[in-house]
Amino acid sequence: MNDAHIYEAHDLKHDEGQLPPENWFDRSETLQKLRKNKKFPTIWCSGCGIGIVMGALIRAIDHLGLDNDKVALVAGIGCTARMAVYMDFNTLHTTHGRALAFATGLKIARPDMKVIAIMGDGDALAIGGNHFIHTARRNMGITALVVNNTIYGMTGGQYSPTTPLGGRATTAPYGNIEPPFPICDLAIAAGATYVARSTVYHALELDKFLAEAISKDGFSVVEAVSYCHTTFGRLNKLGTATDMMRSLKDNSIAKSALDRLPPEEQAVNTKIVRGKFIDTDRPQYTQVYANLITRVQGGEK
Amino acid sequence: MAEVIAIPGQPQNVVLPAKKGPRGEVFIYATWCKGCHICVEFCPPKVLAMDADENRPRIVAPEKCTACHFCDTHCPDLAIVVRKLE
Repeated sequence: MNDAHIYEAHDLKHDEGQLPPENWFDRSETLQKLRKNKKFPTIWCSGCGIGIVMGALIRAIDHLGLDNDKVALVAGIGCTARMAVYMDFNTLHTTHGRALAFATGLKIARPDMKVIAIMGDGDALAIGGNHFIHTARRNMGITALVVNNTIYGMTGGQYSPTTPLGGRATTAPYGNIEPPFPICDLAIAAGATYVARSTVYHALELDKFLAEAISKDGFSVVEAVSYCHTTFGRLNKLGTATDMMRSLKDNSIAKSALDRLPPEEQAVNTKIVRGKFIDTDRPQYTQVYANLITRVQGGEK
Repeated sequence: MAEVIAIPGQPQNVVLPAKKGPRGEVFIYATWCKGCHICVEFCPPKVLAMDADENRPRIVAPEKCTACHFCDTHCPDLAIVVRKLE
């Protein structure tokens, strides 16, 4: 290990037993982009969909052929935000809900970088809801990856802004009485230039949407619908990880398939709609800012 | 492509692969696996089966793998790699 001096300086013991054999990382391109000196397995529960989203994000970046040093991952707090720790890119692990605020600063300082903000549903919409709508309004060149598991998993299963109506949580023992936030509709209304949604069952579709979102110049949002089987699934009797994965397969419909249905059936649709909802172009903030600097400096003597 | 069979009525030196279509090879790194059953439950040709003692998947029918990449794209712990055989 070439970082042995770091461990030595901090008097840390390097746990060799947790590290995989050297040739394991060489077996696929996805594994090449993981941090080689990080302790694995990941902290997530057995069967959690967040690991699948991590794989999809790595494959999307790999597909675009981006340099690792030109990609910055900004994460907040929560189960989802732990994702940034395991990947070998520039990473920023920030305070709860402020991932987009830190990402905005990073993008203005380094407009050449591809900035990806990784957030959970509570992180993006409750604590950081304000940052979410204003980053969309300014059209910052950031990709927001919102992993929606409908609950605050890490803190013990409190209901979040996306918990479905009637869903039980530890802070809603008789069922949630608040209507959930539609993440994609909110992002479109606030002015995002690319909005798409997919589920962890449709991982390859998620790859495609993430690759399109990252290559987009303006603010792009990808909602990855996941599940939390250890708190939300247990409290609502939804079964194991495989049961919840199967329910994502059965209870989701592609946007193209929904559009072909008669209007009266579309109106009563309760399934998760997968697909790309908007793909437009609008002046991106850092570009407008650079133009302003040129104009103002050129105008002076 | 492990197995080859001779076709009756044809010259004996002509051999064809047992199954058509792409084939794959599965690698599992069991130390990273947490035993969530996703790969075993969803594998279309049932290449994998759960080892009850260790709560880890085991490759029981390697010749059936069609390199569909479901298990390696859906493994939450990135403990599976599928390589497509030529």
